[in-house]
Amino acid sequence: MLTAFTRAFRTPDLRKKLLFTFGIVILFRIGSVMPAPGVSTRSVNTCLSTASTGASNVYSLINLFSGGALLQLSIFALGIMPYITSSIILQLLVVVIPRLEQLKKEGSAGEQKITQYTRYLTIALGILQATGIVALARSGRLFPGCTAAVIPDTSLFRIATVVITMTAGVGVIMWLGELITARGIGNGMSLLIFTSIAARLPSQGSAILQVAGGVVFTLVCLLGLAIVVFVIFVEQSQRRIPVQYAKRLIGRRMYGGTSTYLPIKVNQAGIIPVIFASSLLQLPQLVGQVWNNQGFQDFESRYLSRGDHPLYLAAYGLLIIFFTYFYVAITFNPTEVSDNMKKYGGFIPGIRPGRPTAEYLDHVLSRITLPGSLFLGVITVLPLALLNLTKDQPFPFAGTSVLIMVGVGLETVKQIESQLMLRNYEGFLR
Amino acid sequence: MEIGLSIVVIITSVILVMLVLLHRAKGGGLSTLFGGGVSSSLGGSSVVEKNLDRLTIAVGSVWIIAIIGLGLLLKS
Repeated sequence: MLTAFTRAFRTPDLRKKLLFTFGIVILFRIGSVMPAPGVSTRSVNTCLSTASTGASNVYSLINLFSGGALLQLSIFALGIMPYITSSIILQLLVVVIPRLEQLKKEGSAGEQKITQYTRYLTIALGILQATGIVALARSGRLFPGCTAAVIPDTSLFRIATVVITMTAGVGVIMWLGELITARGIGNGMSLLIFTSIAARLPSQGSAILQVAGGVVFTLVCLLGLAIVVFVIFVEQSQRRIPVQYAKRLIGRRMYGGTSTYLPIKVNQAGIIPVIFASSLLQLPQLVGQVWNNQGFQDFESRYLSRGDHPLYLAAYGLLIIFFTYFYVAITFNPTEVSDNMKKYGGFIPGIRPGRPTAEYLDHVLSRITLPGSLFLGVITVLPLALLNLTKDQPFPFAGTSVLIMVGVGLETVKQIESQLMLRNYEGFLR
Repeated sequence: MEIGLSIVVIITSVILVMLVLLHRAKGGGLSTLFGGGVSSSLGGSSVVEKNLDRLTIAVGSVWIIAIIGLGLLLKS
């Protein structure tokens, strides 16, 4: 393991990429703790300490994804959440709007256009969210029960400066993520989420230790470890559908004739469904803030704002299962795969190429996605439910954060390994 | 002084957002998010991209420095 690390650093190409990634991550973290101009750090700190445990429910998920930067009102306060939200929106819109669907079918050029739309939408969402948060902070509702003025000078000019700075921060984060994707290792956006969540872990852990004591703390740690093991087990498991390729004679060389397999992962969708579902569950709260309807607000605060209500848990689980199927349907197209196989003279033993193969793949996929989606649902909802038994834990997104961290970590290590494979054969994972 | 720095921050913020949006959209999107698919063929970045990078970094540094300056000014 350690020798693999030293070998990774000895490879000049890989070393450059790793150091580049580290540098960007450090920049990202520095920006996350740097307060926006006009925000009083002192009053933010006093407010944070008085309202330490999950006071502001509305923005807790966004706060998680921004690594605690949100409540500090730093220049990177919004984190990557706007980008995620806009990606989700466009992904859903592709199904609805024909023009976008056409673009997607065009291949990489169309994809690039969709990505460009995503980026525009990200900035727009950034402006919206920055305005919302600054408005909350100005009226003192960001920290309920805290009297210190977070933004002392509330002139329009000062407020506008803060909002514009945060919006620019969203743009910069987007760029940093893209830089990592292009020149570093791993996927930039997911790595940035990873760092944000990892940065929150120590403070969350110490909060649990203080509030609930040593026994619960050990229990939470053990639970986390068990989740990690389980997640890795499921992430790595796949069904291998055998594929036989016919022999082909081209010129004087023989091609094909090999038998390989088509790996279908149990959890094909990764962790995106969890993020989709949790973002969607935030929506009623945001609506409740804007729409001043007493009935709706009561309903929302009773059933949908906290993780301890059965209705909330059920909705969360069902949404995750739905989005798993949705995402798998988007990313894996059985007809396309079977067509490709047919083109290169491949077939699944016992099944005719063409439509029967597509149907078979579809059948296998929809069957294997069920345990995958159940796994995602259970692993996010169960810790929530368990922790609610011990009452008021400041560990609201345990399942989500562990799932994201393990998923991103695995993926990144795999990428490093494949880079390492170019030079020598032994990697991290054996 | 204070207002001047604020204006600098605002202007650089706007320019920064524009510059970031001018970059070619690479990677990103949900398809590649969280290890979805094959990493895109990279290819060397063009001269335009390189200059854009430099410009973005320059504007970004001015932005950060202005923010720090403004923060210190407002604190005292």
